[in-house]
Amino acid sequence: MRTYEVFLKPDGRDEFRHAGSIEAPNDEVALVMARENYARRAEGSRLWLVDRARIVVGDEDFVAPNADKPHRHNDGASVAERRRRLREDGK
Amino acid sequence: MTVLSESAIEYLLAFADDEHLMGQHYTEWIGVAPFLEEDLALASIGQDELGHAAMLYAIVAGDDDSAIDRLALLRDADDYRSSWLVEAEFPGWEHTLVRHWLYDAAEELRWELVSGSTVPGLAAAAERAGREESYHRRHADALVDALLGVPESAERLQNALTEVLPLALGLFEAVDGEAMAISEGVATAPFESRRSLWQERVAARFNGTDVGPLPAPDQDRRRRRSPDFAPLMARMREVYNLDPSAVW
Repeated sequence: MRTYEVFLKPDGRDEFRHAGSIEAPNDEVALVMARENYARRAEGSRLWLVDRARIVVGDEDFVAPNADKPHRHNDGASVAERRRRLREDGK
Repeated sequence: MTVLSESAIEYLLAFADDEHLMGQHYTEWIGVAPFLEEDLALASIGQDELGHAAMLYAIVAGDDDSAIDRLALLRDADDYRSSWLVEAEFPGWEHTLVRHWLYDAAEELRWELVSGSTVPGLAAAAERAGREESYHRRHADALVDALLGVPESAERLQNALTEVLPLALGLFEAVDGEAMAISEGVATAPFESRRSLWQERVAARFNGTDVGPLPAPDQDRRRRRSPDFAPLMARMREVYNLDPSAVW
């Protein structure tokens, strides 16, 4: 059996969204099962199925070895703090 | 509104009864199918078939909504026109899958016969059902295809096919009113005229299995019910019988 990740696209401009997964012995069985399990009440009009074994994976050690990276977040807080200090020192 | 002839009504009821009982069998797999996804798929397909039955009963019932329930659930057994294939209680899922494949292959041809019907609403029903049926056939075919590739599964399917095929032939047996209904424009040709095409498709799918000549069930022009009919109908009426006067 293979495991497929199922993506569903509603009508209109919404993008494909992950709907769940499905186990099946081949692509065709996966497709007919996904249709009943994720789209039988017209939740969407298109399906993408991706064999999980074919997904290119970036795992946590590679993608986020250090999850804490304040130097990447330019929210201005540190700049504002320095300017506030300079204003107060200048009085 | 158009008044349907007795022949047209009998023709439509035979079709509706087949769809109704097939739908019921599928719904009885809720919670006990071989795997969760199939559990949902069979029940969902069953809902489609019940929807087809409802469309056909509604054409017979006309404007009287309550007549649909009466037609579907409250006729005397002798007044049903179901085939024995759809009445049959099968022991296993492989029989259910084989019946699913055989019935839907025939159902496709049956809807085509009424796609240009003069009966108001019937051609539209055929068009709507046709869109759903292409998925039903793909579902049955995908599973049969996958299972025929596994020796144990293939053997079980082939054994089930041997048991189910004679009953399936009874599906093509006409009701008394069929010839008259065709002359009135209800359908374009007898269902039986599509049987050889169906047999070719069965043979192509099941490794050249020769369908005929086999003994068809003794349905007496669909007027006789099989032994499995009464218990099936009892299950279908179970809730209704709790309080027949209830208003839904």
